[in-house]
Amino acid sequence: MVAGNLWRWRNAVKEALERTAVVAKFLCLLHVTNNYICSPTLVYGPSMLPTLNLTGDVLLTEHITSRLGRVGLGDVVLVRSPENPRKTVTKRILGMEGDTVTFLVDPKNSDRCHTLVVPKGHVWIQGDNMYASNDSRHFGPVPYGLIQGKVLCRHLFLGPYGKLVEAALEQVPDLLIPIQF
Amino acid sequence: MGSRNLKQMGSIVKEALDGTLLISKFLCFLHVTNKYLCTIALVYGPSMLPTFNLTGDLVLADRISILFNRVGKGDIVLVRSPENPRKIVTKRVMGMEGDRVSFILDTKNSDRWETLVVPKGHIWIQGDNIYDSNDSRQFGPVPYGLLQARVFWRIWPPQGFGTLR
Repeated sequence: MVAGNLWRWRNAVKEALERTAVVAKFLCLLHVTNNYICSPTLVYGPSMLPTLNLTGDVLLTEHITSRLGRVGLGDVVLVRSPENPRKTVTKRILGMEGDTVTFLVDPKNSDRCHTLVVPKGHVWIQGDNMYASNDSRHFGPVPYGLIQGKVLCRHLFLGPYGKLVEAALEQVPDLLIPIQF
Repeated sequence: MGSRNLKQMGSIVKEALDGTLLISKFLCFLHVTNKYLCTIALVYGPSMLPTFNLTGDLVLADRISILFNRVGKGDIVLVRSPENPRKIVTKRVMGMEGDRVSFILDTKNSDRWETLVVPKGHIWIQGDNIYDSNDSRQFGPVPYGLLQARVFWRIWPPQGFGTLR
C-alpha cells in the first residue's frame, strides 16, 4: 500500500519538475529576447509630446542598434538617467559626439540661446516638448554607454482588437517594463 | 540497406542535437552567471599601480553589489568609459554622490588642489597611480549607470591571490 503511494508521489514530483523546466526555459528565452533583441515598453510623461502620449504609449524598442553603436541623430532612444540610475527615460538624440548643438536654455522665461560642442563618447538628448522636459539642457551631454535601446514603432497591436489589448495592457503595467519619462 | 543507413543517420543527428542542446544550456547558464552574478576580468595598464600590475592581472568582479547599490568609497570598480563606450576601465571610487572630493588636476606641472562636490547620481573615480591615469580628473564625475562590476578578488598572479587592499 505504502509503496504504491510512494511511487505515485514520485511520479507527480517528476512531472511537476518537468513542467517547471519547460516554464523556466520559456522565461529564459523571453528574458534573452527582452534584453538583447527587442521588447515592448510602456512610456509615459509630458516630455515627448506631441510624439508620445502623456498617459502612456506601448512602444517596441530594440537593443541591437545601440550595442552595435549605430544609433544616430533624430532617433528616439531609451536612456538610463544620469541623475537617478534606477530610472530610464525616453528622449530624442539631437547631437552626436563632435556636433555643435544650439538650444534654448529656459524657453518659458527667456529667449537666451546657448551653444556647445558634444564631447567624445557622449550624445545630446532632448525631449520633443522642450517646455516640460528634463534633459541634456539640465544634466549635460550623456555618455553613450547609458543608452539602453532605440524605439522602433508604437501601437504594436494591429487589427480590430488592437486598441482593446493596448488599453488592457496599460491597466496592468507590471506585465511590461515600466518606464518613466 | 537504404532504410538502415537512414535510421543510423537519424540517430546520429538526434545525438548531435542532444549534445548541442546540453552545450547551449550550459552556455546559457554561464552567460547568466557572467552577467548577473560574477565575472572574470583581465586588467592591465599603468593607471592602477601598485595595486595592479602593468602587464595584467586576472580578477573576479561581482555584479550583485552594483545591482543592489552597495558600492562605496574605496572600492575598485569596472566602469564603461564615458569617452569610449566600447572600453571598460578599472578605477577606484573616491567619492559617492554628495561627497566633496579634492584632487590635484595636473600632477606633472603643478601642486594646485581642486575641490568639487559630486553631483546626484554620479561617482568620482581615480586610478591609484595619479601620475598616469585618465580618470574623473579628466572626464568628470561618472553616472552610476555606467558601473559594470566591483572587483573583490585577484586570481592571477599567484603571489597576489586573495583580496585587494
